[in-house]
Amino acid sequence: MNWITKTMGSSIGKKLMMAVTGLGFIGFLAGHLAGNLTIYGGKDAFNSYAEHLHSLGPLVTLAEWILLTFAVIHVGTGLLLFLQNRKARPAKYAVNKSAGGRTLGSGTMPYTGLIMLVFILVHLLNFHFVDKTDTTIFEIVSEAFTDPVYVLFYVAAMIVVAVHVSHGFWSALQTLGANHPKYMPLFQVCGLAFSVIVGVGFGFIPIYFSILV
Amino acid sequence: MKLDAKIPAGPIQDKWDKHRFELKLVNPANKRKFEIIVVGTGLAGGAAAATMAELGYNVKNFCIQDSPRRAHSIAAQGGINAAKNYQNDGDSIWRLFYDTVKGGDFRAREANVYRLAQVSRNIIDQGVAQGIPFAREYGGQLANRSFGGAQVSRTFYARGQTGQQLLLGAYSSLSRQVAAGKVKMYPRQEMLDVVLVNGKARGIVTRNLVSGEIEKHAAHAVVLATGGYGNVFFLSTNAMNCNVNAAFRAYRRGAFFGNPCYTQIHPTCIPVHGTYQSKLTLMSESLRNDGRVWVPKNPGDKRAPGDIPESERFYYLEEKYPSFGNLVPRDVASRNAKEQCDAGRGVGETGLAVYLDFADAIKRDGEDVIGRKYGNLFQMYEKITAQDPYKVPMMIYPAVHYTMGGLWVDYNLMTTVPGLFATGECNFSDHGANRLGASALMQGLADGYFVIPYTIGGYLASESIENVTTDHPAFKDSLSYVNDRINKLLAVNGKRTVDDFHRQLGQIMWDYCGMARNNEGLDKAKGMIQELRAEFWENVIVPGETNDVNQSLEKAGRVADFMEFAELMVTDARHRQESCGGHFNEGFQTGESEALRDDENFCYAAAWESKGLDAEPELHREPLTFEHVKLTQRSYK
Amino acid sequence: MTAKNINLTLKVWRQNGPEDKGRFENYEAKDISTDMSFLEMLDVVNEKLTLEGREPIAFDSDCREGPICQCGSVVNGRPHGHEKGTTLCQLHMRHFDDGDTIAIEPFRARAFKVLKDLMVDRGALDKIIQAGGYISVNAGGAPDANSIPIPQDVAEKAMDAAACIGCGACVAACPNASAMLFTSAKVSQLALLPQGKPEAAKRAITMVRAMDALGFGNCTNERECEAECPKEISIINIARMNREFLKASFFSDVM
Repeated sequence: MNWITKTMGSSIGKKLMMAVTGLGFIGFLAGHLAGNLTIYGGKDAFNSYAEHLHSLGPLVTLAEWILLTFAVIHVGTGLLLFLQNRKARPAKYAVNKSAGGRTLGSGTMPYTGLIMLVFILVHLLNFHFVDKTDTTIFEIVSEAFTDPVYVLFYVAAMIVVAVHVSHGFWSALQTLGANHPKYMPLFQVCGLAFSVIVGVGFGFIPIYFSILV
Repeated sequence: MKLDAKIPAGPIQDKWDKHRFELKLVNPANKRKFEIIVVGTGLAGGAAAATMAELGYNVKNFCIQDSPRRAHSIAAQGGINAAKNYQNDGDSIWRLFYDTVKGGDFRAREANVYRLAQVSRNIIDQGVAQGIPFAREYGGQLANRSFGGAQVSRTFYARGQTGQQLLLGAYSSLSRQVAAGKVKMYPRQEMLDVVLVNGKARGIVTRNLVSGEIEKHAAHAVVLATGGYGNVFFLSTNAMNCNVNAAFRAYRRGAFFGNPCYTQIHPTCIPVHGTYQSKLTLMSESLRNDGRVWVPKNPGDKRAPGDIPESERFYYLEEKYPSFGNLVPRDVASRNAKEQCDAGRGVGETGLAVYLDFADAIKRDGEDVIGRKYGNLFQMYEKITAQDPYKVPMMIYPAVHYTMGGLWVDYNLMTTVPGLFATGECNFSDHGANRLGASALMQGLADGYFVIPYTIGGYLASESIENVTTDHPAFKDSLSYVNDRINKLLAVNGKRTVDDFHRQLGQIMWDYCGMARNNEGLDKAKGMIQELRAEFWENVIVPGETNDVNQSLEKAGRVADFMEFAELMVTDARHRQESCGGHFNEGFQTGESEALRDDENFCYAAAWESKGLDAEPELHREPLTFEHVKLTQRSYK
Repeated sequence: MTAKNINLTLKVWRQNGPEDKGRFENYEAKDISTDMSFLEMLDVVNEKLTLEGREPIAFDSDCREGPICQCGSVVNGRPHGHEKGTTLCQLHMRHFDDGDTIAIEPFRARAFKVLKDLMVDRGALDKIIQAGGYISVNAGGAPDANSIPIPQDVAEKAMDAAACIGCGACVAACPNASAMLFTSAKVSQLALLPQGKPEAAKRAITMVRAMDALGFGNCTNERECEAECPKEISIINIARMNREFLKASFFSDVM
């Protein structure tokens, strides 16, 4: 093995991959949310945002490929970690209590991750891989969210995303070594705030559509 | 046999240098041909094993714990002395030497103590180089404190974990040699016999504490670093598994036992509070720097400490010893606590405790400052007793802590058995009749890093040591002896547990051979021990089998040796018709109830030779001469 | 506080050896003084078992005051019990109530083999240290101790990390049985000090690799280790080790 595979194959290397790709997704979420907020500007604003985005052409494709690569790494490494970690304790405790370190987010990362994976596939099928020749994205979205099942599914998924991000944000920084008594509490607050913004920001869109549009 | 301490001739400050020069050297290429067994991985054992491996010897290192890092040295809290004079307060090698000889009540060998003071400096250098995070001043220089009755600040410390940090330093050096293949570690192995071939120590027999297998190990020399025998008292501050086995087996094989009656009773421990108690907890004596020791003036005063007005408190140490006050040496502080309790002034439920009060210190410096100095100790005290020392005075009482006696060794740390060495608390050498605070860590590391690595070379280079394997009949004999003893223990199948016997033995020792002794009590104790030992072999119950983890069997073996050793201790205490340091015979005291030495008749180290279980041991005397420190009555007034 | 006596039911893990499957057995612990330590309570139970001709519960213990930490079991789902910053020997029975049922299990991790009952083999932790948890200095050649000034705050930080007693509670508490806190404490201590800098890169890499090879799990920043550590060692040390490891992996010559 050369030094790259040794580094990346180590426990810290795997964490590094999770952290870097995770932070990538956090950046993506921020951008995606900012774009989506144009939806509150009405049909035209949202459609023109979509148009503007697509006019970037190859850049979008590049971004998509990067995201796909990140997703493969994040999901693949995550699964590997999950399986390895299960194996590290073959005999389970009969009584298992937390000393207060674990949070809802940290304790459920593999599961919230898998739910998000399912959501992303559904989401892409709904809004990305659809024929948009005769319609606009705004119409597709408003059409979709007339179905209360969809609304519920999306809102629930956004709560899951928020939970995942609540741990992911500071955890990625910790993995990168950015833990300092002065700044860590700040990072943790930022992580929580960001997860709330993501959850509410994305989660309110289906509600907005189903009630107001 | 005449004892030869092999003290080099010449001025005391040149002895060690000269001796090092005169010791024969082992050719570097030949070092790898030698195997050395080291038993114990504490400061003395771990440091010795690591250093000898660094020199090129092949070392086999044994310990009873699951890891070499879990030796009892780790529990030392307070600090380590070194004659660095970093504080510019007049310290020097000479002063450390002087203090140690005087503190030991003139029963230590001058040449050894001087060497100890000399190498004390190197220990600190070595520790810092290993990455031990000693306390520092703001400027980045090492911090010191005064400790245990010293009037200069020469004690280096790492919070309340000095022993832990020094041990982990030795352990890290050891780990490096394990990785290099020069040390082979044998954890969870208990030495049960030392094997002699042609009169020389050539190996050991051990029990693997996991598989129960009895193993044979051969070597060119054997180093015992197996600590002290404080657990003969059952209750002590020693770790539960500390025992006298290795040293005692060596004694039975011909190594003389030096001064077994010298026991140090540490003045500041948490008092006993129930019959179920398994061990005592030490509170670092650094607490005496700020705490004031007192008892109620009126015997039987059962009021809460806060209700006793200042005028009815007896600050007995401050009143009796105005110049040292609460900082008198350990033996003096302990004996005075006992004296007050015997007079009925003891406090607490049992009446066997005195107060250590921080109220004045807190008033003077504030809770913050006191918390920074002693926070972890206060916390530990509160965990155990559920009382808050910031608010109510601590209750303390003396407890067995350290044993100055041990295997008799010469200047080279070799016992009377050629090729068998003893280091650290396991030997008798440097502390005389009483050890000063923060000197145990110093001696263990001095022996391990800086003395034995040289002297063992001298032995290996000058003796012709033939090749011996574990097939030698001596190993077979030892093996069958060990097996017989184990089978005998398992076969008794009586009605009393090992702990039950141990507790009773401990009580006898504490009552008659503890802080204060007298001839009548010692004579009585001897008979009681013999009776108890007889009962032990008829009535002990050891469940389980030999070929498995069997902690009852381990304990039984240790207690069996304590049963024999206790008698030796009493014999030594009875023979020494004087009081000195950790040996206080009530028949020999000054008008002010201080220890009264008899330099005319007892200025010697007593080395006992085993004559078998049923015969009295034979006394050999190593006369002690004091050329540099004048024999005086110790006074701390 | 005055002591009283309580009665307890113990659910203790019994296992004859590494190959045995193991099972829980119930024992009554009667008339236990609340002044006893947890291990003294087990002593009492063992005395009774011995007198009844049964085999006592095997558990490790030695110093019974903290630093050796030969002891260590999981009590009601918590390594060293539920008191914060406490080893098992410092846990006193006054923290339990009359009639409580207490489950006692060994530390569980693939890297810690159960030897018998509550005794485990923590030799893997020694192997991690052997992989580089030292400064390569022989006895004898050290310069004067004061020749390397070390700022007090650096020494204090190194000391915070060096407080580790190697008990393995971090591994036992970690949902992934990871040894990151243990390993990082040593990497941190030596990386902080100037004496440790020359080998810092090599040390970080070899120690992490050793830890991985010994079958410990991966850290997922769950912070259970930090919450359970009897010496309250912070995961700041893990972040520092991550930094050291990544720095060493990408920017040093160590392959």
